[in-house]
Amino acid sequence: MTAIVCMSGVEVLMEYMEGAVAPDVRAAIEAHVAGCARCEAFIASYRETPRIVREATSVEMPADLEASLLAAIRAARGSARRRDE
Amino acid sequence: MIVGAVDPSDEVLAARAAAGDDPAFEALVVRYQRRVFRLACRLTNETDAPDVVQETFMQVYRHLSTFRGSARFSTWLYRVVVNAGLMHRRARARRPAESLDEFMPRFDADGRHAQTPDALRITPRVDELMDRHVLAKKVQAALQRLPDLYREAFVLRDLEELSTADVAQVLGVEPATVRQRVHRARLMLRGYLSELARGRS
Repeated sequence: MTAIVCMSGVEVLMEYMEGAVAPDVRAAIEAHVAGCARCEAFIASYRETPRIVREATSVEMPADLEASLLAAIRAARGSARRRDE
Repeated sequence: MIVGAVDPSDEVLAARAAAGDDPAFEALVVRYQRRVFRLACRLTNETDAPDVVQETFMQVYRHLSTFRGSARFSTWLYRVVVNAGLMHRRARARRPAESLDEFMPRFDADGRHAQTPDALRITPRVDELMDRHVLAKKVQAALQRLPDLYREAFVLRDLEELSTADVAQVLGVEPATVRQRVHRARLMLRGYLSELARGRS
């Protein structure tokens, strides 16, 4: 049986979540977390982190940028073709 | 127009664009520009993102003929964005950002979490406690303090929500390496958000 403490559990947490740990390690993690309020709290906050960062950085492209992007691409394309001719 | 016609796939458009079909290229730009902009913001910042977006599509235009159908177009495109973002950051030559190492989890001598459950559990509440714009600014700044390798992996995996296998393809590394980098980024950002929620960052 693999012994798991908070620190060794944290080390393999993402592998655990993605199903990339051996069955005995998985069982040992689950047994540890079931009796550890700190790990339970830590894992909850670890799971929440991607969502919080995703929502906080979800920006929309400004409409004027869409127009200027196509214009810039067309201009660059035109000058590239003229160079080739 | 053919009834029931579906939009051509990325790969079909890319092949046409590579053969000199400009409308096909522009259709790809329109299809992906918002995603590329958002990704560029997350890899650099909102000020630099427009340049990164433009540079990305110029690169795509110039190198479309090297795109082979063996990978998905989106995978190839994301790689171009990541590289353009990295070039931009290097060109800026900002002083190195202060690292987020201090926010890594702490353990006692027995390997137990050094913080109490209450201190650890606080993260989910940060987005209820803080003004949305303040939180956005702080989170964006924290993201920029991650090492480049961690930020790229984390942004693709957790913010753009690609699978670990797809991120590995984009970055040209093993899935285990992706997991290691994403995990480190999550640990640092988790600790940062936790301190933020407690009013310490």
